[in-house]
Amino acid sequence: MGLYSESPDWADIEPIPQDEGGPNPLAAIHYSEEYSEAMGYLRAVMARNEMSSRALALTEDIIDMNPAHYTIWLYRAEILFAIKADLHQELEWLNETALAHQKNYQIWNHRQTVVDRVGSPAGEAEFIARMFEKDAKNYHVWSYRQWLVRRFDLWEKGELEDVELLLKHDIRNNSAWNHRWFIVFGRDDSAVAGDVIQREMDYAKDAIRLAPQNQSPWNYLKGVTRRAGNPMSSLKDFASEFASIERPNEVRSSYALDLLAEIYSQESDGKLDAAVALDLLAKHYDPIRANYWNYRKALLEQPATAA
Amino acid sequence: MSLVAGPGRGGLGDGQFSQNPKLCVDKHVAYIQSLDQRRDELDYWLTEHLRVSGIYWGLTALHLLGHPDALPRDDLLKYIISCFCDDGGFGAAPGHDSHMLYTLSAVQVLVTLDALEEFEQQIPRGKDKIGRFIADLQNRESGTFAGDRWGEEDTRFMFAGLLALSLLHLKHLVDIDKCVQYVKSCQNFDGAYGVSPGAESHSARVYTCVGTLALAGRLDAADTDALAGWLSERQLPNGGLNGRPEKLEDVCYSWWVLSSMAMIGRLHWIDKDRLTSFIFQCQDPENGGIADRPGDMVDVFHTHFGLAGLSLLGQPGLAEVDPTYCMPKQVVERVLNG
Ligand SMILES: [Zn+2]
Repeated sequence: MGLYSESPDWADIEPIPQDEGGPNPLAAIHYSEEYSEAMGYLRAVMARNEMSSRALALTEDIIDMNPAHYTIWLYRAEILFAIKADLHQELEWLNETALAHQKNYQIWNHRQTVVDRVGSPAGEAEFIARMFEKDAKNYHVWSYRQWLVRRFDLWEKGELEDVELLLKHDIRNNSAWNHRWFIVFGRDDSAVAGDVIQREMDYAKDAIRLAPQNQSPWNYLKGVTRRAGNPMSSLKDFASEFASIERPNEVRSSYALDLLAEIYSQESDGKLDAAVALDLLAKHYDPIRANYWNYRKALLEQPATAA
Repeated sequence: MSLVAGPGRGGLGDGQFSQNPKLCVDKHVAYIQSLDQRRDELDYWLTEHLRVSGIYWGLTALHLLGHPDALPRDDLLKYIISCFCDDGGFGAAPGHDSHMLYTLSAVQVLVTLDALEEFEQQIPRGKDKIGRFIADLQNRESGTFAGDRWGEEDTRFMFAGLLALSLLHLKHLVDIDKCVQYVKSCQNFDGAYGVSPGAESHSARVYTCVGTLALAGRLDAADTDALAGWLSERQLPNGGLNGRPEKLEDVCYSWWVLSSMAMIGRLHWIDKDRLTSFIFQCQDPENGGIADRPGDMVDVFHTHFGLAGLSLLGQPGLAEVDPTYCMPKQVVERVLNG
């Protein structure tokens, strides 16, 4: 009556029923018959560690029903390599499976294993672009992409250009901002050239001017400033474009106000101004974090340290 | 324990509830008890690969709700032991391969049930076997851990390994200094942590990294104010917390964010009243259970993390939770001091 029990390909296999470590009469009745049958055969072929194309097809059938079953991915990879299956075909199948199951993460580990064995990133950029069309912040895809960059030395192979396209589409995509950092600064710890620092500062500033209340480019800008060894005060004029304690009703960015507070607090006579900025944040522009801003204010009373 | 979602949805009670929400303790207990009676649903079987963790989530939630004996202890114990594999780890269900995450869940359940001795009676030198399984998964060069014999590495696995070893008093089996080094290498320019060096900061990964530092006794290695500032920015105007900038709020982040802030002593930077009312709105006031956000289906995962978050916020009527171990504080104290 089942797909497998009636197939001559599987006639030699006695499926192993579910053992839940106790009696469960209901299971036998209602457990979806298709899935249940396939799992019975899976347990049987796994028990004899069968490496065959029928076992590979069986894992595909079960993964289509339930891709989160982690054990089956390990078994599938073993079979692929043991029977020397066509790995490009595997990647094509994986593409569709990944697109159908966006949240699954086992799939990415499997893809990594397969692509590593293939030894080439050909086609991966196109596939990632398809994934990003559905969700440009998918954490698994971004992690996988970083692995690709490191594994195949793709640092200067269009990554920056691609990030710019994604940010043009959505300037608030924090994942893309993070990838930009990874490509520009993540390669090694060596000093980054001055013109690159300038380029990155300009890029972040332009993004902020487009959308001042966007956390990602502010974090990026401060990160670049720190990485370049420049003081935060070098951003004072820029931050003042979006906030001023003299015009408390015209603040266009709470992040600018936050940065100004930090800069004031480091000035010898800036404590009062810093307190005004922090008060504005606590009371008007970010009251949900009042305790945080009040903590920052309390720090002003302490003897000056490099904050 | 089933991970079947629903049947109820968060926040869909009568109109009065949303105006005057309260913690539905008895409903949540009944909801968790009902989960194992749902084997007739396909989802029960499709979530088999999480079963041991499901037991941990349900059992811990019941402890926090003050009903530690609401599930049959003998059955739970028998089931957990049936997931033990010859290599010293636990699978998610009988017949599943060992994995770090389920090994941690199994150890947490054994400890919560105070059943380590019974476990050793059935599996001689069982604790040592678990310890060796975990220690063998550490990458002795980088310090991080793989999740299983296939080698996928993730800060989750490092934290899970250290946590389980700590509960078994076997931390000395691994190189803890290397773990701290690895956590440091995952720190980003925004002060928070990602899943691996260079990966985007993410609240759930922050929990695993800060938790690792806490277990190593090296919380000084975190950039406390920058990190806590980033964490506090996860709170959205509706009171809920998100996992990273520009993403939606979700009840489970109540745990990842709050626990991390608690460990570094900055819990008070979160607006407690607003977060509490957000979590309340995610409850199904009729059938129990908590959803990721109002209007979605409830499940045991979000029920557990919602309650654990509320416990950290000091919700009356809930037992205290330990922010590092995500287990009842009383249980953690018993095993660490015992
Ligand atoms: Zn969630």
